[in-house]
Amino acid sequence: MIKIKELHKSFGSLKVLKGIDLHIKPGEVVVIIGPSGSGKSTLLRCINRLEETTSGTIIVDGYDINDTSTNINFIRSETGMVFQQFNLFPHMTALHNVTLGPVKVRKVSRTKAKKIGMELLNRVGLEDKANAYPDQLSGGQKQRVAIARSLALNPKAMLFDEPTSALDPELVGEVLEVMKTLATEGMTMVVVSHEMGFAREVADRAIFMDDGVIVEENTPETFFTHPQNERTKSFLKMVL
Amino acid sequence: MGFQFKYSVVWESVPILLVGVKLTLLLTFFGLFFGFFLGTAAGLGKTSKSRILNKIAGFYIESIRGTPLMVQVMFIYFGLPMALNTRIPPLVAGAVSIALNSGAYIAEIVRGAIQSIDKGQTEAGRSIGLTRFQALLYVIWPQAFKRMIPPWGNQFIISLKDTSLLVVIGVGELTRTGQEIIAVNFRAFEVWTSVALIYLVMTLSISKILIYT
Repeated sequence: MIKIKELHKSFGSLKVLKGIDLHIKPGEVVVIIGPSGSGKSTLLRCINRLEETTSGTIIVDGYDINDTSTNINFIRSETGMVFQQFNLFPHMTALHNVTLGPVKVRKVSRTKAKKIGMELLNRVGLEDKANAYPDQLSGGQKQRVAIARSLALNPKAMLFDEPTSALDPELVGEVLEVMKTLATEGMTMVVVSHEMGFAREVADRAIFMDDGVIVEENTPETFFTHPQNERTKSFLKMVL
Repeated sequence: MGFQFKYSVVWESVPILLVGVKLTLLLTFFGLFFGFFLGTAAGLGKTSKSRILNKIAGFYIESIRGTPLMVQVMFIYFGLPMALNTRIPPLVAGAVSIALNSGAYIAEIVRGAIQSIDKGQTEAGRSIGLTRFQALLYVIWPQAFKRMIPPWGNQFIISLKDTSLLVVIGVGELTRTGQEIIAVNFRAFEVWTSVALIYLVMTLSISKILIYT
């Protein structure tokens, strides 16, 4: 599904990613953890080219995303992205947020988009908030709308960039619940998160990144109970 | 003998001044109407990724903001026609000057408003597959537009007052009309007071309308 080879990314002289190799199979749920500044968000943002890669290749669903012949707008619509700060469109209702993609990118009719939108809002438990504007929603509700917005394009994979980090603790659960359902339905997911419980329960693989490289990867069970690398051990000791 | 304020002069002058007001408003509206399009184009040019558009917009904005409006008016009415061997009616030259001048400031309003919208909005738009243009049109512009309204009102007031400078090319707007009345009755105090109050009524009306938007 996603194949990353020798990925390097620098911001000016600052090297953020220093050679990342990562294969993600269809339906796989991968959780990436690591200290801030380790490059995990940058890695995620490279996958749908919100950041340009410095060198290396990224293949998404068979398309080299940096190839000039690849339609990047199409690739982006195939990989949903959920942001830490939600980034809902504040001037649109929840439903309109969800239908914008189908109408403008997939070119489906408004009526059909509305139907898709209501189904998705229903799926994230917010059909009664369809006509609410983002500033009338709680953080958890906003994030669920944001997930619905991404799902509206029927993506092949979903990227989550710390989706619960900006939420009040009591609102984290409702978002994780939606993500869990998504995972069990077979969605390919790459999740940058520090939700260890979620990683343990849902992930197929846990990855620890530090200083721009993948330090360790394993099944969540082994990863959390028997970390091999010293840096992983000390990090996990701090957060668990 | 002390100075006597003659109210009769005011009552006699106001109807004539109102004819000038018509032209002042006309110049302001036309100037700002075209200034709006010019400014939006230049503002978008300034935020665009294209270097050429960026340079063109930058040159326009800097050259207008960096020179006095009076010089621009003179250049357009006296200078350009000489070089091009034509004549431009004063009214057209006046409207063009106001449009060019306000356009440069409106460009900065547009640029500022667009750049004030959080980058995450563009990213969210692009991440669902919108093109750059679509993201601008559906996501950024509606949000930026709201933020442009107060500074636009400000520019409206500035441009309205700027039309008074068009006396130098003989456009019969409010200020010019005042001058003409004084040339006949020599009542400078009463007439300038009337002129000032009429400007004030117009600008205060704009401010009031703006509060309700």
